[in-house]
Amino acid sequence: MKWMQFLTPAKSFDYKEADSYMAGHPSGAITLLDVRQPSEYKESHIPGATLIPLPELTDRIGELDPEKPTLVY
Amino acid sequence: MLAGKGFKQVFNVSGGINAWKSKTAIGPQDLGMDLFIGKEAPLDVLKVAYSLEQGLQEFYVTLANKAGNEKVKDLFLKLSKIEVKHQISIYTAYNRISHEGINKDEFEKIVEISALEGGLSTEEYMDLFKPDLNSEKEVISLAMSIEAQALDLYHRVSSKISDSESKAIVNKIADEEKAHLASLGKLMDSI
Repeated sequence: MKWMQFLTPAKSFDYKEADSYMAGHPSGAITLLDVRQPSEYKESHIPGATLIPLPELTDRIGELDPEKPTLVY
Repeated sequence: MLAGKGFKQVFNVSGGINAWKSKTAIGPQDLGMDLFIGKEAPLDVLKVAYSLEQGLQEFYVTLANKAGNEKVKDLFLKLSKIEVKHQISIYTAYNRISHEGINKDEFEKIVEISALEGGLSTEEYMDLFKPDLNSEKEVISLAMSIEAQALDLYHRVSSKISDSESKAIVNKIADEEKAHLASLGKLMDSI
């Protein structure tokens, strides 16, 4: 069991920081990851977000680029 | 979870979508994607993008004609002109890549106009947002919703196509939409 994957803390951005961080990076240079359920995504999501519901994340993590800064909500 | 899987920079957006004050997009992940299915080569991507911008430009002109006051009418016409600029940059990219030197009229003949940016039809947008066409704020808000939807679509398309040139084109258009959205936000703040 690799505990690091559960314990590593991630830095938090408030929405203003996140918004300006995204504005400061060209499209495709960062990943915006939506880990909510598809129904929630359908109702409303941050433009450009990739949907991978949390329950599927471990199986689908290969779809993401670990080299890119990743913003998660 | 991500940090432990080798992701170098992970940020949590605190408060999630509920704290998000900027524009959001709606719809499932495949909304509008059908427009690009089978059209993933760079020139095809440009044609689809051009048609989306054309749809939106016409939409803004239609709303300008329906607008109740001159300020709102002017605003819609300004928005339509921005879409024309986007179209010119797409058309220019088409000629640069194709080396065809096709003129604009001929180019428009080979482009199908089917939906607005974001993959929703004009009617769907109007039903969804029911804007008060006499209110500048509502008009800007509507435009921001549409641009957010467009930005979202271009991002989703970019993530699905493998051709690097096509991807770069879509990312560039997405960047323009992002800048457009930011300028609309400033305009909203100035009212």
